[in-house]
Amino acid sequence: MFSMASSTLEITVISGEDIRNNRKPVKKNAFAVIRTDSQPLCRTEMDKDGGSYPYWNEKHNVEIPQHARFITVEVQCKTSAGDKTLGMARIPVSDFVGGFVPQSYLHFLSYRLRNSNGERNGIINVSVKAKVPEYAASSCSSTATTIGVPFGKTSCYGGVVPGVPVGVPIMKQYYQG
Amino acid sequence: MGNCYSDVEGGKQAVGGVQQSPTATNNNAGHNDAVEFFYRSWGLPQHFTRVELSLSAINLRDRDIISKSDPMAVVYAKNIDGKLEELGRTEVILNSLNPTWIEKVIVAFQFEIVQPLVFHVYDVDTKFHNIPVKTLKLKDQDFLGEATCVLSEVLTKQNRSLTLNLCSKIGHVGLRNLGILTIHAEETVASRRVVEMMLHCSYLDNKDIFSISDPFLRISRIVESGGSIPICKTEVVNNNLNPKWKPLCLSMQQFGSKDNPLIIECFDFNSSGKHSLIGKLQKSVADLEKLQEGRSGENLTITSHHGHKKVLKGELFVDQFCEKEQYSFLDYVSCGFELNFMVAVDFTASNGNPQNPDSLHYIDPSGQLNSYQKAIMEVGEVIQFYDSDRRFPAWGFGGKTFDGTISHCFNLNGSAGSFEVEGVEGIMSAYASALHNVTLAGPTLFGQVIKRAAQIASQSISYNNKKYFVLLIITDGVLTDLQETKDALVKASDLPLSILIVGVGGADFGQMEVLDADKGQRLESSTDRVATRDIVQFVPMRDVHGGQISVVQALLEELPGQFLTYMRCRDIKPRPLHEAQVSST
Repeated sequence: MFSMASSTLEITVISGEDIRNNRKPVKKNAFAVIRTDSQPLCRTEMDKDGGSYPYWNEKHNVEIPQHARFITVEVQCKTSAGDKTLGMARIPVSDFVGGFVPQSYLHFLSYRLRNSNGERNGIINVSVKAKVPEYAASSCSSTATTIGVPFGKTSCYGGVVPGVPVGVPIMKQYYQG
Repeated sequence: MGNCYSDVEGGKQAVGGVQQSPTATNNNAGHNDAVEFFYRSWGLPQHFTRVELSLSAINLRDRDIISKSDPMAVVYAKNIDGKLEELGRTEVILNSLNPTWIEKVIVAFQFEIVQPLVFHVYDVDTKFHNIPVKTLKLKDQDFLGEATCVLSEVLTKQNRSLTLNLCSKIGHVGLRNLGILTIHAEETVASRRVVEMMLHCSYLDNKDIFSISDPFLRISRIVESGGSIPICKTEVVNNNLNPKWKPLCLSMQQFGSKDNPLIIECFDFNSSGKHSLIGKLQKSVADLEKLQEGRSGENLTITSHHGHKKVLKGELFVDQFCEKEQYSFLDYVSCGFELNFMVAVDFTASNGNPQNPDSLHYIDPSGQLNSYQKAIMEVGEVIQFYDSDRRFPAWGFGGKTFDGTISHCFNLNGSAGSFEVEGVEGIMSAYASALHNVTLAGPTLFGQVIKRAAQIASQSISYNNKKYFVLLIITDGVLTDLQETKDALVKASDLPLSILIVGVGGADFGQMEVLDADKGQRLESSTDRVATRDIVQFVPMRDVHGGQISVVQALLEELPGQFLTYMRCRDIKPRPLHEAQVSST
C-alpha cells in the first residue's frame, strides 16, 4: 500500500475506560505510550485527574516502518516506584490500512487492554489516519464538505493540540451518561 | 411497572445536555417551556422537532365575479384511518390569485413515522374582516383545490420547498389548471450555537457517613422573576471527592446568552432522592470560558442556616471549553445528505414452508401482510424519502438458490449481477418471487450480509461522504455463529452504517439482545477489538393487535442520533445554507 520505506500516521490517543491498578481503579497520572515492535513512537501527557477514565485527546504524527504489522498502545501510570504498565493492546495495521475506505479515512478504533497477566483491564480509544503524500492522494475528499478535518477556528482544548472533534469517544453511552 | 424499587441507575443519568435527543424540541424551541409541557401532557412523544410551514400559491382559480378570489389555505394531517385532522390555517389574503401567506402552520416532525399532509385552498366568501380565521366555516367557502404530500418530502428537498399541483377533491386533475401550491419548511431554531465543556471538581466535602460523596452537578438558569430553572445535570460519579464528569454540552437555546448568570450546584447523590448540597457557585458561560483559559478553579460556597456564606475548599475547574455550531438532522437532510436503505431477509427453514398458512413467510391472498412484509413496509416507507434514487440493495440469507448451494448473501431479486431493487414495492415483489425460487435452508448467519453492507458503505465514502446506510435484517431465529457476527459488527462500527434487526415469530431472542449495546456492553471481536459506536438496534416484533405505536418505530427513533453522532465526530458539516448551491449530487 505505501510506496515508501515508512509511512506517516496521525494518531490521536483519545481516552481510556475503566483502567485498574491491581483491581483497584487508577487514581491518577495515567498516560499512554505508542510503539511499534521495536521502538517507542510517542507518549501522551499524564492525565492528573482522570483516574480510571483518563482523557488525553493528544494528536501525534508518527512514522511506522513499512513492514510493521502492529502498533502497540500501552497505558502506564506513574507510581512512586516508577512507571507501571497497566494494560496493553495491539492494533493490527490492517485495521486502518486496506479495506474499501479511502486511504485518508479517519478511523476511530477501540481495543480491549490486557494487563501483564493477560486479564482484561479496560478499553483504549484512539483515532488513526494515514497521511497520504500530496501527489499520491486519490480522488477522495473531492467534495466541498470537510472530511475529518479538525477544528480550525475557535481554539478549544487550550494547550492540547486540537485533534478529534469534541464528543469522542463516540459511544452512545457517552452522551446518555 | 410492577416492582417497588425505583430505578436508581436511571436517577443517576445525565439529563438535559444537548447531545441526548437529537430530534427533541429542547434542542430547538426551548424558549417556550409551556408549549413543550402542553404537548407532553397531550401524550405527544418527547422526541419531535418543531417545523414551520410557509405556503404560497400561483395561478389560483378565480371564483369571484367582481373581484379576485380571497384565498386561505388549511393544512391537515392524515391519520392512519384516513381521517383528516386540521393542523392550522393561514390568514385570508384579499383579491389575489398568487398569494404568499404570512401565517405559518406549525407541525411536529417525527422521523420514525410517515406523516402525510393534506392542503386545501379556499376562496373565502363570507366576511372575514376582524374575524379570527379559525372560526371561519369551511363549508361556507369556495373550495379551490387540494394537494397532498409527506412531510419528509418537503424536508429533504434542497431548499426545503416542495411544489405541488392543486387538484380537485376527487383526486384527479380537472380540465382546468387549478394552480400550484408551494410549501416551504423551516425548523424553528433560534440558535445553533452550543458550548461543550469538561468540568471537574477537587477537594469536595464528604457528605456520606459510611462512604464517600457521589457528586453530580446541576446547572440552572436564573429567570427574570429571580428564581432559577434547571437546564441540565451531569451523571453521578460514585465515591469520589475529585470527580471528573463526561463532556457537558449546552445549547445557546438553554442558557440564553454567554453573559447570563448560571447557578452551578454540586450535590451528593442519595438514592432516597434527597441529595445533599455540597456547594454551589454562580458563573456565566463567559466566566466559565475565562476559568478554562486561566486554568484556574473557583471555590464553591455554601450558605449556612444563619445566612452566612462560607467559602469551601472545593473548587470547580473547566478543563475544556469549546464553542461551535451544532447542526440538526434536518440541516443535513436538506443539504443532500441521505439515508440509504438496505434489507436482508431470513430464508432459513425454521420459518416454515411458505405454502403453509402457519409459516412466517406465508403470503396471504387476502392481502394481510406477514411479519416480514410489515417490517419491510414500516421501515422502508419512512426511509425511502431520505434516499434520493430509491434503489435499495436487497438480499436473502440462509436459503438454497437456483444452483442448489446454500447462500448467506444472495440477491433477493434473483439476478446474478444487480443487487438493487426499485422502491419499497420492488422489495416486496422481489421477496414474493424469491419465496418461489429459493428453498429454505439454514443455518442463520448474518456475517456475510453485514460484511456486504459494510463494503458498500466503505466504497461509497470515496465518492460521496453524504451517504449514511441503514441495513434492516429481518430474522425469525437465533444466530448460529454469534462471534462471527460480532466480529463483522465491530469492524463495521466505524462506518456510516446502522443496523436494525427485527426478530419475527416466537423464538427466544435473548441472545440477540447482546448485540444491542443499549442492553449490554460494547461489542468485542475475537481479536480484542471493541466496537467504536453502538450501531445495532434490535427489537422483537410480536404480533400485537391494536397497538398505536409500532415497535419498529422505536427502532427508527434512534437513527437520526446515530447519523448525527457519526457526522459530528468527523466534523462533517452540512453546507452552510446561505452559500450559493452549486449543482451537484
